Amino acid sequence: MKIMRTRMYVLMLLAMLVAASIPIAGQLGRPGGLAGVDGTEGAAATKAGPIPRRPDGHPDLTGTFNGSPGGVTHTVILEEHPPGFGVLGGQSLIIDPKDGVIPYQPWALAERDRRRDDANGYEDQVGHCEFYDVGRIHSFTQEYRFSGNTFIINATQHITRIVPMDGRAHLPPGIRLWLGDPVGHWEGDTLAVDSTNFNDRTRMSLGGDFHGADAHIVERFQMLDANTIKWTMTIDNPKVFTRPWTMTSPALMKRIKPAADFDIEDTCHEGNVDLVHLKNTYYQAHGKDAKPRYGTDTDIRR
Amino acid sequence: MSRPLLTWVIAAVAVTTTVTAQSPARRPPDLQGVWRAWNLAKYDLEDHGAKPGVPAGRGFVVDPADGRIPYKPEALARRAKNYEGTKTLDPVKSSDPFAKCYLPGIPRMTYLGWPFQILQTPEDVTFVYEWAHKKRVVPIDSKVPLPPKDEGGAWMGNARGRYDGNALVVTVTNFNPYTWFDMAGNYHSDALQVVERYTPMNADTLQYEATITDPKVFTRPWTIRMTLQRQKDIGLLDYECTAMLDDLGIDHTWPRDFDEEK
Repeated sequence: MKIMRTRMYVLMLLAMLVAASIPIAGQLGRPGGLAGVDGTEGAAATKAGPIPRRPDGHPDLTGTFNGSPGGVTHTVILEEHPPGFGVLGGQSLIIDPKDGVIPYQPWALAERDRRRDDANGYEDQVGHCEFYDVGRIHSFTQEYRFSGNTFIINATQHITRIVPMDGRAHLPPGIRLWLGDPVGHWEGDTLAVDSTNFNDRTRMSLGGDFHGADAHIVERFQMLDANTIKWTMTIDNPKVFTRPWTMTSPALMKRIKPAADFDIEDTCHEGNVDLVHLKNTYYQAHGKDAKPRYGTDTDIRR
Repeated sequence: MSRPLLTWVIAAVAVTTTVTAQSPARRPPDLQGVWRAWNLAKYDLEDHGAKPGVPAGRGFVVDPADGRIPYKPEALARRAKNYEGTKTLDPVKSSDPFAKCYLPGIPRMTYLGWPFQILQTPEDVTFVYEWAHKKRVVPIDSKVPLPPKDEGGAWMGNARGRYDGNALVVTVTNFNPYTWFDMAGNYHSDALQVVERYTPMNADTLQYEATITDPKVFTRPWTIRMTLQRQKDIGLLDYECTAMLDDLGIDHTWPRDFDEEK
């Protein structure tokens, strides 16, 4: 049972890539369901009141929130896409630029399309049970808490982000991290998380979207009422994009009842019996001497 | 929120905080920070001579007093076999489950050598481990029953915490039988129970104790003790173990045969 459950998202990835070039999510998705979080369905606990505040007067984001009702479509493809092959059609999550299209540099668009090819799905780090990226984790239910002046973001699997809220300087550029180095500050009532020092190994969606290691990402968590958070993420990365761009979650993040087993251990790798199929597809397409490309290596090495 | 209401809320919180601070009730120890075990425990919990790549050194077993893990006689052969199986440079062939980036279990996670961060809230204590981004959220004084054991147990067990004087005590049960205690092949069964104690010794040192009970493998409970040092120069970074396998050209696609091993 446990192995089955922890294998689910690798199986999903596989099913998606086998089924269609724009993969499936619709019927499998439910809030938080991707990682086997039970009991999180069924929504808003209490009637929304005013924004709760911490002793320092700043909004208290403490709680469990989900901004991806009805599935994980945005981890599949970020831009507007039609329904098909079981995929729910969706509006673009890109709110700037207004046309909803990620402003890739020409080389980066070609690289995105290369990654989107089914034959290259083996290179997606998520199938290897490695880390999601800052945006993709918004397909999961997230738990927000404060410990002193530290903002903690917990998600299922092995995702924990520890965000010092003191606006300190970022790490030196030689240190690279999967989710970057997050430093928080307040912009009025909005909690902003400023991240740099990425490692160039994460994809932003199954559709192959990506940013580079020298990306500068600012997320903004704005409480609209006691049960609602608006999350946006602005990415500036001139080597990859022609201009900064901003995305949001598929829906406003709504407070949900915490699940009793939120802390279920992440055993994706221990039960990863399905990656072999993606591997076989990759080597059938590229030949046995092919070398999978796990990053672009464009800008991480000085 | 209107300003008078905001003022009221702040005042209410301030009063609550003051009352809490003045209350004589127990005050949990502050364990927060980034901690690291700088010792040889990851190699061998017992006294040992030098082995390939391993410095000789003292062990960490404080009870029994002879420093030896109290194996049942019939259980020692399995440990020897475990260690023999580690004599390879190929992680996939190694008998040590940790070589394949499998979760190391408790207490091994504590002294792997990678730092970990402790975060405390009134409800729980979160351990965030730099190794493979893993975490444990240990509920304090939880009334939530443990999950049933019929799912085969967990790599890291199921933890429940409480404060005992100046110590955090974490009782961990419901383990699966697949993890080891160190690189010397010391092991346990699914009957394992671990009681961890984290006690501040000074601002920059924690004492870590783990008492290990497993009647299928050991003749009696035994206890290890070591110190953990505060890491001051930098916060928690990351080490995605499976990505290191990718970097070594080692695919993750070996068969998972846990079910057969049972």
